[in-house]
Amino acid sequence: MNGEKTQVEDVHQEFYDFRFDESDFFKVDSGLTPEIISQISDEKKDPAWMREFRQHALEVYSRMKMPDWGPSVEGLNMDNIVTYVRPNTERMNTRWEDVPDDIKETFDRLGIPQAERTSLAGVGAQYDSELVYHNVREEVARAGVIYTDIESALHGPYADLIRERFMKLVPLTDHKFAALHGAVWSGGSFVYVPKGVHVDIPLQSYFRLNAPGAGQFEHTLIIVDEGAYLHFIEGCSAPKYNVANLHAGCVELFVGRNATLRYSTIENWSKNMYNLNTKRAKVEEGGKIEWVTGSFGSHISYLYPMSILAGRGSRSEFTGVTFAGAGQILDTGCKIVHAAPDTTSYVNTRSISKSGGENIFRSAVVVEKNAENSKSAVSCQSLMVDRISRSDTVPVMDVKTNRADIGHEARIGRISNDAVFYLMSRGVTEEEARALIVSGFADNVSKELPLEYAVEMNNLIRIEMKGVIG
Amino acid sequence: MGEMLLNRPIAATFRWLHVNGTKVNVPDTVLERSVDVEENGEETVVTECATPNEKFVGSVGENGTLRLIQIRRKEDPEQVINDVSVRCAKGARFEWYRVILGGAATYDNCSVALEGEESSFAASIGYRLGGTEKADINCEAIHTGPKSRSDIYSSGVLSGQADKLLRGTIDLRHGCVGAEGAEMEDVLLMDEDVRNRTVPVILCTEEDVAGAHGATIGRPDANTVYYLQSRGVPREETEKMLARAKMDAIIRRIPAESVRDALLKAEDEEA
Repeated sequence: MNGEKTQVEDVHQEFYDFRFDESDFFKVDSGLTPEIISQISDEKKDPAWMREFRQHALEVYSRMKMPDWGPSVEGLNMDNIVTYVRPNTERMNTRWEDVPDDIKETFDRLGIPQAERTSLAGVGAQYDSELVYHNVREEVARAGVIYTDIESALHGPYADLIRERFMKLVPLTDHKFAALHGAVWSGGSFVYVPKGVHVDIPLQSYFRLNAPGAGQFEHTLIIVDEGAYLHFIEGCSAPKYNVANLHAGCVELFVGRNATLRYSTIENWSKNMYNLNTKRAKVEEGGKIEWVTGSFGSHISYLYPMSILAGRGSRSEFTGVTFAGAGQILDTGCKIVHAAPDTTSYVNTRSISKSGGENIFRSAVVVEKNAENSKSAVSCQSLMVDRISRSDTVPVMDVKTNRADIGHEARIGRISNDAVFYLMSRGVTEEEARALIVSGFADNVSKELPLEYAVEMNNLIRIEMKGVIG
Repeated sequence: MGEMLLNRPIAATFRWLHVNGTKVNVPDTVLERSVDVEENGEETVVTECATPNEKFVGSVGENGTLRLIQIRRKEDPEQVINDVSVRCAKGARFEWYRVILGGAATYDNCSVALEGEESSFAASIGYRLGGTEKADINCEAIHTGPKSRSDIYSSGVLSGQADKLLRGTIDLRHGCVGAEGAEMEDVLLMDEDVRNRTVPVILCTEEDVAGAHGATIGRPDANTVYYLQSRGVPREETEKMLARAKMDAIIRRIPAESVRDALLKAEDEEA
């Protein structure tokens, strides 16, 4: 079998690639001007501070440079991007029956209402720039858990709480697309889990970008108070168009003392998407952030969830798998800042490159001077399925104290012919053998997901690995 | 020449980490050396970094071997810039032994092109920095030759407020079928004001290759310290022994006996 190759087909997106007419949707003009930002503020009924914040963000955006160290984003012309699209629904609904039919059908086909019934404690569904559905189980709400759209929360009893934290973890000057987000953000969720409350089943937000040439800029802000627990799942998809779409969301997570937040993402944007997303968590004493990430879609991704371990004994775990196929450059990884004593971080990632796809694993582990007795272990493994693809590993460790123990290991290789041969000798076809090996390779993520999502992810890998022997 | 950006790696990363090259005032004069090893030839070159700006260009012919041993001592000029570039033909081997025994500022760049089939590169980098000394090192193995091999090994000790940045890149490019690259760094941090930055990069555009890197960074191992203390070795002495071991791991690899012995003797005196 030496010299034989399995031709692995491109990522199948058909399941997600459907669309409905949006001619009756409200859209702002494409491009970025102070007038467009004002128009978004009007639509959102922004409080005065937010109106000012958006305009300031636009100024910051205008003076910041494009990133010069990652994949090219030259194909993204902001003059062609529509930053706000409001679906033909006047308000957010708490019953699926009240959601307009075409939008409801979209989420039905994505399995969201069904998942809500079987395995979720609450669901938020965003369509283009607006949340169209938000609901949380009664018993969860009774425990004091707040799960709502961030815009109405801006006007309610949590307004001050949000104002205190909004874009404080991810400042506008963080990078150009953070500033862009600050100017045009729309939609997203606000979650507050009170002290000591353990939310046993996950909450999920699903983001669907349907409009061609549009951007989605949702803002997610989660506060898990002292001793509480939450698993939050984020899903996203879009139909494929011939024009560039942009996702520049922002996630800010505040994990309180001895609290735990698990933040899982299954990302399957279409291959015309520029996914320039920013996620950051601040963890207080004894708290823990767990990131679980599966990245399958988008044309270009820049995605590095960051953990700031601010309290003594706080912890971060990052588990990720990235699958890059034809036309995809997925620059993903994570950043960890150990900023307190006795902090711990653990990173375990896998990436698979095929059909000309490019994976870049990029990480930063920074151990500040006061982070004595901190520990960090990073492990990343990459699989090259063919010789037209690319896989890079670019980690940085910056250690500013001697009282820390830092370890790092990385490996790049191919599918073992011996393993394929062994499985074939047991009656498995070559195609199945390769799919099985890749599924096993991505096992680090699937075993961290709730069963239904793990099955979906493994199916996705199986479909993607389906090919012919050539 | 004025201020220039040195040690710019092949792959850049997050700007806020300040590892995408270092701005340095570069002296106008450069001491250039050039060595061409002929087919099946073998040569060992020893250089002492006695001038502030040195450039070494080498080529190794088929099945030839070039060994470059470079020692940077405390008493050398405060700032030393050392640039090495070597090309290896089929079956050729380049060995780089770099020992940094101090000095206010050291900027090393070593770029090796493994162009020939089964060509190989082995780097052994040792450093012992204290006070406010700093070292900024960029080491690249560029594989285009089939079945080429690279092995970048570094081991060092930082104390006081020493600051070290090591970028190591294994670049597995199209055509290097069957190539393997490995990179390992082992850093011992002795004092709380030190700073260590490690950037071990693997770039890969070929399928049938293997690349691996690993790094361990930290203080003297508590179990080892405890064991030695339980055998009557005072803590201070234990730490000295462990630091010495890091440097010895590199020095003992040096193939030139006279250089190796002199360095080991100097280490004894230092201890």
